[in-house]
Amino acid sequence: MKNAKIFLITLSMAAMFAVSAEAGPREDIIAGFMAQGAGPADPAKGKAMYNANYGTGKVETPKCQSCHGATPQAGGETRTAKPIDPMAVSKAPDRFTDKKKVDKWFLRNCRGVIGRECTAQEKVDFIAFMVTQ
Amino acid sequence: MSDNPTQNKAETGRESRLVKVWDLPTRVFHWSLVSMVFIGIITGYIAPEWWMGLHVWAGYITVTLLVFRLVWGMFGSEYARLETFTFSPVHILEHMKEIISLRPVRHYIGHNPSGAVMIFALLFVLSVITVSGLLVLGGEENQGPLAGAASYAISEIAAPIHNIFVIILIAMIVMHVSGVILEGKLTGENLVSSMFTGLKRVPKGTPPLVHRRARPFAAFLVTATFFAIGGSLLAAFATMPPSGLRHLPANETYETECGDCHAAFHPSLLPAKSWADMMATLDDHFGEDASLDAETANEIALYLAEYAGEEWDTEAANRFRVLDPKHPMQITATPYWVRKHDEIDPETFKRKGIGVKSNCSGCHTDHYSGRFDDQKIKIPEVKVK
Ligand code: HEC
Ligand code: HEC
Ligand code: HEC
Repeated sequence: MKNAKIFLITLSMAAMFAVSAEAGPREDIIAGFMAQGAGPADPAKGKAMYNANYGTGKVETPKCQSCHGATPQAGGETRTAKPIDPMAVSKAPDRFTDKKKVDKWFLRNCRGVIGRECTAQEKVDFIAFMVTQ
Repeated sequence: MSDNPTQNKAETGRESRLVKVWDLPTRVFHWSLVSMVFIGIITGYIAPEWWMGLHVWAGYITVTLLVFRLVWGMFGSEYARLETFTFSPVHILEHMKEIISLRPVRHYIGHNPSGAVMIFALLFVLSVITVSGLLVLGGEENQGPLAGAASYAISEIAAPIHNIFVIILIAMIVMHVSGVILEGKLTGENLVSSMFTGLKRVPKGTPPLVHRRARPFAAFLVTATFFAIGGSLLAAFATMPPSGLRHLPANETYETECGDCHAAFHPSLLPAKSWADMMATLDDHFGEDASLDAETANEIALYLAEYAGEEWDTEAANRFRVLDPKHPMQITATPYWVRKHDEIDPETFKRKGIGVKSNCSGCHTDHYSGRFDDQKIKIPEVKVK
């Protein structure tokens, strides 16, 4: 009986540990956007963002797909022909794990494509979509 | 000055006969020089620039041949010796007059006076061409033994000299060949085949010839000494770091941040003002937002200013300092870039491994050093995409 109790505690601790391992840098980044006012993430909105043809930013790059490829799995190319790894987390597990990098590119790419900075909500939606991919 | 002892005046009535005139080293020298000059001219004018390696080697071999010829001119067999074809000006003029008026000329067993003038002129012109070539190689391309000694400014003087003397050389080759043909017509001699066989037919009545023999050992000693001294001098020069090529310390921030979208450009490719303007307008960088946080941007701006084009004396840095006023931040818009790449088919830039014309690394394997040597150009062949 006592043994079973210890076993259960160990198990739940292990489970907690596993969960906290889940809560890695990506989750911290999402939490950061939440703190900036983002609500629960909606992957469908992130998908719409990825596919949208904005045309309100720079003429050369009307959509996210212009550089990141037709699908998140495909991978893309910069305008200077340098390959870009796929955005889908299943294909590129270290996506959205470096806060500085995420901030830098959201700033650049949102201004470049949409013509304005993205909201915290848009950022979590976008990341949430890529995590499901 | 010596009148050729074998020049025929006495009549003895004997039959004409073949004598050995050109010794083997002289003949090998002659045809090797012909090949090297031919290679040099072809690779200099016609072949694509990355054949420059061959051009430079033809130059080095030419220098070796010239040195050998001068030494052999002292220690070779009779007709190889410079003194046997050093004639007085009066003598030379007389001979030229004979040729021009197409009168049958007197027979010379060795080189005739006009030919001799041509030989000395060729030796001189070839020396100028090889020395100026070495200066261009060192100053412009930062290669070869004079890379450290020759500045870009010197190469700008040496380059036109090199070109003009090559034109002079070509004119002289034309004269030399016509002279050989003409002389053949006038005297009935086949000078070309003599240069292969070494044999010449002497007219009947030529008295027995007294030939001095070659002194190969002495020739070898002198040549070896010359190359030992010349070689170590050049080797000493070669240890000087190439002038104008500085050491560029790696800067990780620059390489990663400015290498995100394209390979980071060598800082020497644009002048400081262009870099400063570019760093101030990163939010609109060639139709792209490349903005950076202030601290990172500042670090990169300092690095670029320190190693900007003004700080280098390479050919690329010197040339790209002349900008297109309409696109002062674009290397590929500079007049020199446009001129150097205008023969490349636009489709070539789309090849896999290149993509766009600004991707220097696609074709220039030494782009990271800022040298952009002719020999380091490799255009990817496969035409995919
Ligand atoms: C002009 C080309 C271009 C366009 C258009 C573009 N991106 Fe990017 N994006 C890049 C490049 C280049 C990177 C960095 C390369 C890499 O991470 O492999 C990047 C990286 C990112 C990152 C960082 C990923 C990470 O691993 O941290 C995010 C987020 C991002 N882009 C979002 C977007 C969004 C959202 C859009 C559309 C609104 C968009 N991008 C459109 C070129 C582009
Ligand atoms: C967000 C992507 C991106 C980043 C980051 C970026 N560039 Fe560029 N850069 C471009 C594009 C796109 C072009 C235009 C290329 C073309 O037209 O072929 C370009 C062109 C250039 C050119 C002109 C090339 C030519 O055609 O002569 C220079 C120089 C240059 N970049 C320097 C830099 C420097 C320095 C940095 C770092 C501060 C930097 N770039 C960062 C995208 C980027
Ligand atoms: C498609 C391949 C290709 C690309 C891309 C390319 N080049 Fe070149 N480049 C060449 C070729 C080929 C030559 C030789 C042309 C000639 O002289 O006939 C050349 C010549 C040069 C030269 C002159 C070299 C010399 O010593 O004569 C310089 C400097 C140079 N390129 C710089 C650049 C820079 C800087 C870039 C990028 C902004 C670039 N090139 C991009 C193919 C390329």
